[in-house]
Amino acid sequence: MSADEVPLHSGGGAPALEVRRLTVSYETRPVLWDVDASFPTGALSAIVGPNGAGKSTLLRAALGLIPADAGQALVQGHPARAALDRVAFVPQRDAVDWDFPITVREVVEMGRYPVRGWLRRLTGEDRAIVDDALERVGMGPFARRQIGRLSGGQRQRVFIARALARQAPVMLLDEPFAGIDARTEATLLELLRELRAEGRSIVVVHHDLGTVRASFDWALVLNVRAVACGPVSEVIVPQTLRRAYGTDAVEDGAEAEELRWVR
Amino acid sequence: MGPLIDALPFSYTVSVIALGAAVLGLTAGVLGTLAVLRQRTLVGDALAHATLPGVCVAFIATGAKDASTLLIGAGAFGLIGALLVVGLERSGRTRPDAAIGVMLSSFFALGIVLLTYIGSLNESGQAGLESYLFGQAAGLVERDVTIMAALGLGALAVVAALFRPLKATLFDADHAAAGGLPVRALEVVMTALLVVAIVIGVRTVGAILMVAMLVVPAAAARQLTGRLAGVLVLAGLIGATVGVTGALLSAQSGLPTGPVIVLVGFLVVLACLLLAPGRGVLWRARKLARDRRRLLVEGVLIDLETALHGGPPPTQRELALASGRPRRALRRALRDLERTGALARDGERIYLSESGAASVHAVLERRDLWSAWLEHGWRLELPDAREPDPRDLRASLGDEHADRLRALAAEARS
Repeated sequence: MSADEVPLHSGGGAPALEVRRLTVSYETRPVLWDVDASFPTGALSAIVGPNGAGKSTLLRAALGLIPADAGQALVQGHPARAALDRVAFVPQRDAVDWDFPITVREVVEMGRYPVRGWLRRLTGEDRAIVDDALERVGMGPFARRQIGRLSGGQRQRVFIARALARQAPVMLLDEPFAGIDARTEATLLELLRELRAEGRSIVVVHHDLGTVRASFDWALVLNVRAVACGPVSEVIVPQTLRRAYGTDAVEDGAEAEELRWVR
Repeated sequence: MGPLIDALPFSYTVSVIALGAAVLGLTAGVLGTLAVLRQRTLVGDALAHATLPGVCVAFIATGAKDASTLLIGAGAFGLIGALLVVGLERSGRTRPDAAIGVMLSSFFALGIVLLTYIGSLNESGQAGLESYLFGQAAGLVERDVTIMAALGLGALAVVAALFRPLKATLFDADHAAAGGLPVRALEVVMTALLVVAIVIGVRTVGAILMVAMLVVPAAAARQLTGRLAGVLVLAGLIGATVGVTGALLSAQSGLPTGPVIVLVGFLVVLACLLLAPGRGVLWRARKLARDRRRLLVEGVLIDLETALHGGPPPTQRELALASGRPRRALRRALRDLERTGALARDGERIYLSESGAASVHAVLERRDLWSAWLEHGWRLELPDAREPDPRDLRASLGDEHADRLRALAAEARS
């Protein structure tokens, strides 16, 4: 079974991911304040904002990995905690110990565990799906390698393959392009576009406004509060960026480029 | 246990000790690996120390000296210790290492106070409880071993049954939780399993050194394999081997069991760290030295070729001056080249033999290819995630792409 035949259980017109009045605090300091945002089905969406804006927190709170003070998250119109089977999550790369004794293939197989049942053995079908996911990210020849012997870009490919193996209609990625080489970034971005063309909805925490403007459909500009949420052409504009980044350096495109360093 | 004991080529007492040590080593090795991979080995240490007051309280409460009663106390206090460590960490007021340090020393202090108190109650010493400090294999009886084996088998069965969820939680708890796995509950299970391992081992190895039986097998096994299932199995085997060897040595020599087991374990870890194929320190050092030597030899080949290109064959001294390399390095490289038949000499003067010229050609081609990669690499459309290896670009890219790279470079030159 190839990835294109995956049933992308439609959300019946509901957005792929929606958060309503989401507030999250560490101790007493709010890192997300009353955030309303929605990300449409079948789109490539970005969450952008300065450091400490709560970008990763938004994804993690939506998935229930950290408790929210208030608000709710919906995946395809269903409460997120009850719709985890519709979501594939790609955490930040540095969240795991890369010296862990595990091979590339085993990591990708983990994408099948929740689908097959955590205690069940994987079937031949699962193995075919895992092969397919490895091929799509170009990691087929590295399947038996221990993950510690991979480059940063290859590690990110493995993480994305694990999410592909999940075959979920909604994919959430936390900073997948941070600190990886240009070739991998281009390959993975192309892959995300293919997934969008297959009808999947993708939400990426990202910091490079240039790529967002060039390749993404939709964006949430975040800085603790939601500054703006909508089509990239309407949202990634100097007024909103200035409100989010709190700097005047955003007069035109060239200077907006520089924001990735200011960040 | 009976038939197993009879089957061993030792006396009855020694067989019991060996079996007990094997059981403890096996369980501690496997269950300790889970703690090591969670980077929670110090929690294991704190829990081991927490069992000491548990043993004392059980003795005071029941007056019983048999191991199983005392171990119930040890297990209860181990669990209490685990709860307190987690509670103190979660309070967010101390860092985990500080929380563990506080708990470890406090429980141990309480244990020592209780041991002394028990000593003062009883004219005939501390009722043998002090063996829980440093461990004593000699006192093991068949019933103890049976209980240890039952507990150990139960714990190992849990690990086998939950293998996939445990693996997912250990590797990436966030991803596992996002897939709907009850990660918190699994962490509780792993801590409980750790307590079981400690309860099984504490009498033989002692509270102070028990942590070594949890860490040593995992540390050694990790050097030998890169897969979790392999690490678990090997850690169990290494744990059992170390346990049996140490316990028998201790039983023969009259030395306390814990320290002897730990010293045996240290030797095993040391050997694995140094010698493990592909990963060991010596292995790596040798590979690094070989790579450096190769770079040096290639560099000298190029130096020689450059000198020959510009004039008559140089003497060794002239070559040293021209290349700016340290004399010793140059001499070593020339010796290597001589040995492979790459050099020819005309008195003092050095030039390249036919095979030397061929090697120079190969080296130059490799360098050209690397330059071409740096300049034009981005234009190659590599079909997968392969990455350039500076030592052998052609092999890492594949012939087809290496040739394409050369074509691109040639095209750019013309």
